[in-house]
Amino acid sequence: MQIVGTDPIIHIKNFSMHFGKNVVIDDLSFDVFRGETFGFLGSNGSGKTTTLRALLGIYQASAGELQVFGREFSPEAGGKLGYLPEERGLYKKESVIDVMCYFGRLKGMQRESAATWSMNYLERVGLADKVKVRLDKLSSGQQQKVQLGVTLMNDPELLILDEPTKGFDPVNRRLLMEMIEDRKRAGATVLMVTHQMEEVEQLCDRVILLKDGKARAYGTIAEVQDQFGNEVIVVKSFNLIPASHSYQILRAEAGGVELRATEGVSSQHILRELVEAGIEIEKFVPTKPSLDEIFIQIYGNENPWNQEE
Amino acid sequence: MRRHNLSTVISFEVLRTLRKKHFWMGTMLVPVAIAVVIALNVLSNSSTTQTLDSQKNAKFSFSYIDDSGYVNPVIAQAVGGKLTADSGKGIAAVKSGKLDAFFYFPKDPTKDSIRTYGKDGGIFNNGKYSAVAGQILKLSAENALGDKTLSTLATQNLKIKSATFKNGKESGNIGDVIPPLLFLLIFYFVILLLGNQMLTSTQEEKENRVTEIILTTLNPTTLVMGKVFSLFIIGLTQMAVFTLPVVLAYAFFRKDLHLPNLDLSSLNFSPRPMTIGLLLLIAGFTLFTGTLVAAGAIMPTAKEAGQVFGVAVTLLFVPFWIVSLIASSPDALIVQVFTYFPYSAPVTAMIRNGLGSLSNLQATIVIAELFILGVLVLRLAVRLFRYGSMEYTKRVSLLTLFRKN
Repeated sequence: MQIVGTDPIIHIKNFSMHFGKNVVIDDLSFDVFRGETFGFLGSNGSGKTTTLRALLGIYQASAGELQVFGREFSPEAGGKLGYLPEERGLYKKESVIDVMCYFGRLKGMQRESAATWSMNYLERVGLADKVKVRLDKLSSGQQQKVQLGVTLMNDPELLILDEPTKGFDPVNRRLLMEMIEDRKRAGATVLMVTHQMEEVEQLCDRVILLKDGKARAYGTIAEVQDQFGNEVIVVKSFNLIPASHSYQILRAEAGGVELRATEGVSSQHILRELVEAGIEIEKFVPTKPSLDEIFIQIYGNENPWNQEE
Repeated sequence: MRRHNLSTVISFEVLRTLRKKHFWMGTMLVPVAIAVVIALNVLSNSSTTQTLDSQKNAKFSFSYIDDSGYVNPVIAQAVGGKLTADSGKGIAAVKSGKLDAFFYFPKDPTKDSIRTYGKDGGIFNNGKYSAVAGQILKLSAENALGDKTLSTLATQNLKIKSATFKNGKESGNIGDVIPPLLFLLIFYFVILLLGNQMLTSTQEEKENRVTEIILTTLNPTTLVMGKVFSLFIIGLTQMAVFTLPVVLAYAFFRKDLHLPNLDLSSLNFSPRPMTIGLLLLIAGFTLFTGTLVAAGAIMPTAKEAGQVFGVAVTLLFVPFWIVSLIASSPDALIVQVFTYFPYSAPVTAMIRNGLGSLSNLQATIVIAELFILGVLVLRLAVRLFRYGSMEYTKRVSLLTLFRKN
């Protein structure tokens, strides 16, 4: 875990949001600390984008405290933010350099430094020859690179990325990951909404899982695995494993079984129980569930990706 | 930061509009058309003048009958004329080709036509007969007066300065009316030229999904105000481009175009009506712009937003249905209603200001009303942009919008 500070750069406390009678977020609280990469997880429709929009002042919260850089967010109050929204786009009829310089200027850069930064970035991502080309004349992959450049302009201290890899081809996805890693190394804080669990496991220090507007798990990945997913244990033995309230037998094969510990029961307790029952154990391997498994456990049979936010 | 962002938005919006080819194609269409008409006019007038001059001085043999008694025989003789008594013989001589022309001056040339009969010299040359006949009569008249000033007094428009009084105070004349009404002209130009752009000004952010990035980068009020200012600058640029050929034509081709000499000294730029006119222009512009931007923020596409423009234009022209009443009876109930109803107020008040029938109190009330309402509508427009444009492809229902927030 790479938390370099204990002061929350994002602070959300008792946040609720309702549209008419429809409660979208219900009493949500979490903090994102300076220097950490934070995963904001949940199915479509669970309220992630609504939370981000309320945090950034696009929506007005129904209740609660939402702070960025220690105060209610205002674009002109200072603090360097790079935001890649879920619904994204740029001024398509303008040239690449004009759009990048415009956003650079709006983010507080001088005209010359915005132009220099843009040129360096475009060179890095292989678009140096497209500087004066209109955005709508670029391929969608090239437009994504420009979009990413706009997000990263002025070296943001805080990156908020709403499904950053959505619609990205594998090349741009890798580029994005490299850029995020770069910003992390530079000490930036990253909050990302994603459905890609491998990205979360690769990048995130802590996560929060949202379902129906409520936090279902919150903490480091290990803490979430501890608090939410019951351990799965592979036991190799020539004896018959007896039934118990301490575990559930998931799979039984010749010479071994796979058990899931009952909620609140530790693997050490199960091991002791089996030994006391006279079972000869050749191998006992407790494994924590992956985030994917936790996800499936939380959302059950519902397809979490097919709902409208 | 806010000021920096405002100037950034204004320069971005103005420059990207001015860099577009289709903007210049549309803008230049009017001055190019004016320039072409002026050029044709200059060429045509110049050749017509030359032709008329040469025709007036043309020499040919003719006979004439003068029933008016105004033709000076010496002048007629000098250009080849010979008095005759028989019109039949004169016409017959022309027909047989023995004589170039025959003129008949009637008893009262101011009422009856002068008749000319001539040998055909081609369609462009036949004008010489009427030119010479007219010139003979004109020179004869000037000769009869015997004084150049008398002749000028008789033929030219005279400069007259009038003063009229109402309740013991000098009331306005046309020189007082025109300058404040220039603001009305500017108001119409700006709204008619840019109304559609105002409606669609926030469409690009919506259609291109830029709204969220914009809203987290700068204050929506700054964005909307930046767009309003840039539209005003673009409108003034267009007006300058439209006006340029007219000014150049007046400066360099006034004689060729037979344009009257504008005596600007008769225009009275009094501070009071000019200040009120300017404030009414700004306040009216604020209200109409706010309304159009707000309407545009609700509509999902530029096409749908365009439908609202017709309504706005109708509102602009409504006061002209009662313009004679505004001029003659400014205290009439309907004029009062139009003066204070926000969407007819700018035009009605500007007309009344020009005509001098808008009191200081009335002007203050209308200006304050328009400014307050304009600011409120602009705030609503910002709110609609902030929340309405997040709906992207949907038409925003106001009820839903306010329920959301």
